[in-house]
Amino acid sequence: MLQQDSNDDTEDVSLFDAEEETTNRPKKSKIRHPVASFFHLFFRVSAIIVYLLCELLSSSFIACMVTIILLLSCDFWAVKNVTGRLMVGLRWWNHIDEDGKSHWVFESRKASPQENKTVSEAESRIFWLGLIACPVLWVIFAFSALFSFRVKWLAVVIMGVVLQGANLYGYIRCKVGSRKNFTSMATSYLGKQFLRQNTGEDQTS
Amino acid sequence: MAEAVESPGDPGTASPRPLMRDLKAVGKKFMHVLYPRKSNTLLRDWDLWGPLILCVTLALMLQRGSADSEKDGGPQFAEVFVIVWFGAVTITLNSKLLGGNISFFQSLCVLGYCILPLTVAMLICRLVLLAEPGPVNFMVRLFVVIVMFAWSIVASTAFLADSQPPNRKALAVYPVFLFYFVISWMILTFTPQ
Repeated sequence: MLQQDSNDDTEDVSLFDAEEETTNRPKKSKIRHPVASFFHLFFRVSAIIVYLLCELLSSSFIACMVTIILLLSCDFWAVKNVTGRLMVGLRWWNHIDEDGKSHWVFESRKASPQENKTVSEAESRIFWLGLIACPVLWVIFAFSALFSFRVKWLAVVIMGVVLQGANLYGYIRCKVGSRKNFTSMATSYLGKQFLRQNTGEDQTS
Repeated sequence: MAEAVESPGDPGTASPRPLMRDLKAVGKKFMHVLYPRKSNTLLRDWDLWGPLILCVTLALMLQRGSADSEKDGGPQFAEVFVIVWFGAVTITLNSKLLGGNISFFQSLCVLGYCILPLTVAMLICRLVLLAEPGPVNFMVRLFVVIVMFAWSIVASTAFLADSQPPNRKALAVYPVFLFYFVISWMILTFTPQ
């Protein structure tokens, strides 16, 4: 079903692109890595669903906690090592050199003239949507666990915030590194997102 | 978290990072903990998967089964998690403040992987507890826990002590001693109900 939704999104995006954008970039509305896109969202969304429905799904707190931890770990590994590279051409890692000093390396793929190496618009949207929305949700869960005194969940929620926040931070730095100007990038990105959402809603309604 | 040396090249290439490579790296580090010798593997290519697996295993084994499903070991599970990770972070901060030249994640990696002997001790203790309780039972568990505790300390200091200036080694090692002592204590005093 997730595939279905993203295919619908690509339909809207292609119409939108034809009308509005006048860049010389060819239309990139296909999803080139459906499996990666699926798993990018699957682990994150399942972890959140299990957290929200834990009381209904199973009476054992331990089983829920272990499941969420497992899903969060799989998600971290998948997003860091696979989906970032395939979907948006970014990667980041830590490198320890001969002197024992640690360097964090943030890389982004240079735009290449080859057709199959450029970033697909739809995949990029899915990627960034999943990457940003989920840590925000985990932060909200953290506050709600703190203030409603469900402290036993705090360990898992903090783990969610840390793991997903780390990926978010890493990829934002990759993106910023390729543009070198964070403020203008942030405002232009947010501006574009709002514009697209508003006109996108007009189109579908 | 898994950080083997990346091959330089186009980040957009389709060849995926093999899962097996990361799993093998984790297994190799477990071996290095069991037979500690001077090598850079634990330090250079750090990853935190091993500590996570060990922490979850330890926390699962340290639960008390209880008939009441409402408090079914939840607090103890989260407790172990908090003790392990908070303890490891505190030791790392301590060693950095003392002027050690080891990075934050490297230190977490070493401390986490060196919990392996204690996890094995926990496994053995749980098996021993299936037999009839008594002073012999306790002595066996005490012996196993002491041996594994010593193993953990030796393994972690083999990796961590070098990163400290010579006059500060004891100051840096003492919290590690405390950390593994607390975990050993939790293992030794565990009784299933």
